[in-house]
Amino acid sequence: MSDLRVLYVAHNHPTLHPGGAEAYALELYEAMRDEAGIEPVLLARIGSNVARRRVGHPGTPFSAVNGDPGQHFVFTETEHFDFFTLTSRDKALYSRHLTDFLLAHRPDVVHLQHTHFIGVDLLSQIRRVLPEAAIVYTLHEFLPICHRDGQMLRTSGDELCAEASPRRCNECFPELSPQAFFLRERFVKGHFANVDRFLAPSAQLMEKYVRWGIAEDRIEVEEYGRLAPAQRAGAPAQTRSPTNIGFFGQLSRFKGAEVMLDAMAMLEPETDAHLWLHGANLELQTEEFQEEFAARSAELRDRVTFRGPYDHDELPRLMEDLHWAIIPSIWWENSPLVIQEAFFHRRPIICSDVGGMAEKVRDGIDGIHFRAGDAWSLARTIERATGSARLWQKLRDGIREPYAMDDHVERLLELYTETIDSRKAVAVSA
Amino acid sequence: MPRTTVAEKRLRKALDADENELKALLRDEFAGLEAEQRAELLQRLAKSAGSRKGGSPGLSARLFGVREVLRERLPICVVDERQPIGLAVEAILAIDERSFWINGWARDEEGGGKIAVVSPEGCRVELGERAFRYERSDVVQFYAGLGRAGDREHGFTAFFELPAASRLASGWVVELHAAGGAAVEVQCPPANTDPQTIRATILGELDNHGPLSGPLAAEHGRHALSRLQERIVGEAEIDSVDVYGEPPEAPEVSVIVPLYRRLDFLEHQLLHFSTDPELAEAELVYVLDSVEQREELASRARELFALYQLPFKVVNPTAGSGYAGANRHGVAVASGRKLLLLNSDVIPDRPGWLGEMCRFYDAGERIGALGAKLLYEDDSLQHAGLYFHRLPGTEVWENAHRFKGLHRSFPAAAVAQPVPAVTAACALVDRERYEEVGGMPLHYVQGDYEDSELCLRLADAGYENWYLPAAELYHLEGQSYLAEARRSLSDYNMWLHAELWGETITATMERFDPHVAAVAA
Repeated sequence: MSDLRVLYVAHNHPTLHPGGAEAYALELYEAMRDEAGIEPVLLARIGSNVARRRVGHPGTPFSAVNGDPGQHFVFTETEHFDFFTLTSRDKALYSRHLTDFLLAHRPDVVHLQHTHFIGVDLLSQIRRVLPEAAIVYTLHEFLPICHRDGQMLRTSGDELCAEASPRRCNECFPELSPQAFFLRERFVKGHFANVDRFLAPSAQLMEKYVRWGIAEDRIEVEEYGRLAPAQRAGAPAQTRSPTNIGFFGQLSRFKGAEVMLDAMAMLEPETDAHLWLHGANLELQTEEFQEEFAARSAELRDRVTFRGPYDHDELPRLMEDLHWAIIPSIWWENSPLVIQEAFFHRRPIICSDVGGMAEKVRDGIDGIHFRAGDAWSLARTIERATGSARLWQKLRDGIREPYAMDDHVERLLELYTETIDSRKAVAVSA
Repeated sequence: MPRTTVAEKRLRKALDADENELKALLRDEFAGLEAEQRAELLQRLAKSAGSRKGGSPGLSARLFGVREVLRERLPICVVDERQPIGLAVEAILAIDERSFWINGWARDEEGGGKIAVVSPEGCRVELGERAFRYERSDVVQFYAGLGRAGDREHGFTAFFELPAASRLASGWVVELHAAGGAAVEVQCPPANTDPQTIRATILGELDNHGPLSGPLAAEHGRHALSRLQERIVGEAEIDSVDVYGEPPEAPEVSVIVPLYRRLDFLEHQLLHFSTDPELAEAELVYVLDSVEQREELASRARELFALYQLPFKVVNPTAGSGYAGANRHGVAVASGRKLLLLNSDVIPDRPGWLGEMCRFYDAGERIGALGAKLLYEDDSLQHAGLYFHRLPGTEVWENAHRFKGLHRSFPAAAVAQPVPAVTAACALVDRERYEEVGGMPLHYVQGDYEDSELCLRLADAGYENWYLPAAELYHLEGQSYLAEARRSLSDYNMWLHAELWGETITATMERFDPHVAAVAA
């Protein structure tokens, strides 16, 4: 039997743009590359918002990546992308270039990590060009549901939103009519109809997509599989009082940067706690936010230290100094990779009590929940957490090893085969 | 002195001859005639020359030259509050070559003055009693200093026709003859020929001097707007038909979709149609009514056909002609035995709707138009059949939608039944029956009552209009044909509809209860 050809499509390449979904897509591709009988191809979108200049060559959006014959970039102009309808206005991207790419590789399975900047039209084109291919789509966030950058937060007051509808979406964006939101939803769903199997890394994400209209038998929860780090961080030198809390990720409002700083300012004076910020992309935030952030961290310099961006390989060393990881996001999140990173290094997590955080971190077992968006609640939680070495040890003992990439690969291969078989069955009955 | 008939013959000949010859003839033979004789001669000449075939701006220019020699000029009116006579013309609208609209004001001390319009070619028409007169506060104020009461309806607005075509914008003259014998004239501003401006101006006049059921609409507005519609429709011919892919050769049904400005709907419809095998068997005909978007549509259509591979046609008319006009083009191109009239902002809820409609139509006895269940984006009912609602205290009937705004699952809207009319946002009609009743009327101003009149025509011819809830589609109402002056438009259309069909509607509504579902037979 010939090798199983699997095409992975990602909206970015981690060498150009750091980000959880991108990192996972590359890890998965590399893991599949090491599997016998699997021939993976990675197609990662690149464009003017991440690359300094056009990558690629005249007459084609494609170019090779770093000498690996299995990896390709596809260049799409950011300006051609319709962020509302999630489609490219350059239809030749689909009808010509991506069609050529699909016909050249003829994958048995196309596993999409993302269609952002490429467009949902790709799904219909895969089905048209390769009627027998299995189409698998991992959903990483809520962009198909929510026009507000997929955050599912109302535009007024940042209230969590559990359900989109043309009327509710129009409330958030009064300049866009309910009819426009209706067309957007139908358009996205029209293309999504070509997907055989959706994967949701968290149950809460699956639940929101089911409520949005994806039938329950077309979607299942499949957590991100991760490669265990080569080196694990040891226990912090000082364990009598678990004072050090680490934040990893983007410093933005949605990630709870303000909640975190507010909470640190509210701590009782005698609290022995320190927040270490390992934050990226601060420069991408609004100027107002950056100024505010600089002023607040200066005020709190005895309790908060900004350590800037980090490289993934540095994590074991950075974790070494920390007792806790913190995830104070004010939106649902999906399945934050930081949770798995922290658990690999056996750091309990202080997190918001909603969405993917509440689902993946068990309150009182391997972490502590606080009320999302509530700085007072976070302050009290930090006081409790940093004040008790016993609690810390108990939660540390409660941590389970994250879902391994090997198991994930095994499950995906099963799923690919199932999906191919059911497509064949459909073809025969038709 | 030559008799006028002889003179007329000579002049007519000279109109086709050398220009210098014409001038010499006029100077030598006619300039000396009595004013009355000259006027009579000019009128007859303008009438016969202007109405003959092969008229042209060149001929008009010559007639203008003749008019300038033969016509007895009146003193130019000087608008001054101390003068007993005042006259001003603010607009001449050239609806077509024979139909015009005029706005202005005239004031003479004694009242009862006569207004006459002279075309550049020399045709003279008295507005007489026909003109619609109304009070203009600005004119009343202007003459207020004189302290004399009297006739205050100085403003006049009127539709008028010429016995012969006029093709020149400049050269219009209006005369005012006061009862006492005094007379003045004014030169008019150039006649406006732009259909959009004309339509907006006339609708504005109707709006200002309402009610719409009043004499201005009945005696002037209706004729003017009908002529304008005829001209707009007449000027729009099919220029080309672009064919994408290979549409079926002998389709059972042709789906006709007018496109107006919102070209993005094409992409949405093609996406949703492409997953429905029944649409591939139908002939899909788009008609571009916003003709200025021709290139843009062609480029989108090429790209989208490459993506969805659903064959379709695009009809490109030479000019826009409104909703009914666009449908007319679509029907002319369509080869199906049935016509499915569809708006571009209608998106099916799921595949299978077209087959449902066709099967139901074929199974029925003498169905006229068959309508579908149309939904708003929030799953409330937009359309479950139309009926007519009389505006309290008037003779005017308004189109009303049964159960509008209720939930899509409302039980009474789940019953297939005859209804007075259906919306053409999605309506199936047999082609022969459609043609038998003359299709969609063209006299409405841009899309409001065409569909209900089509249904009334079908009912008049003995067919029955039906509502079919099994076909469910979304209709993003009002997203496709967004007219400026929407309210006055729809008021006018509503009035015209009731004026033409009031009796039939009254009889229909005596038999129809819009609030309950029909009991299944």
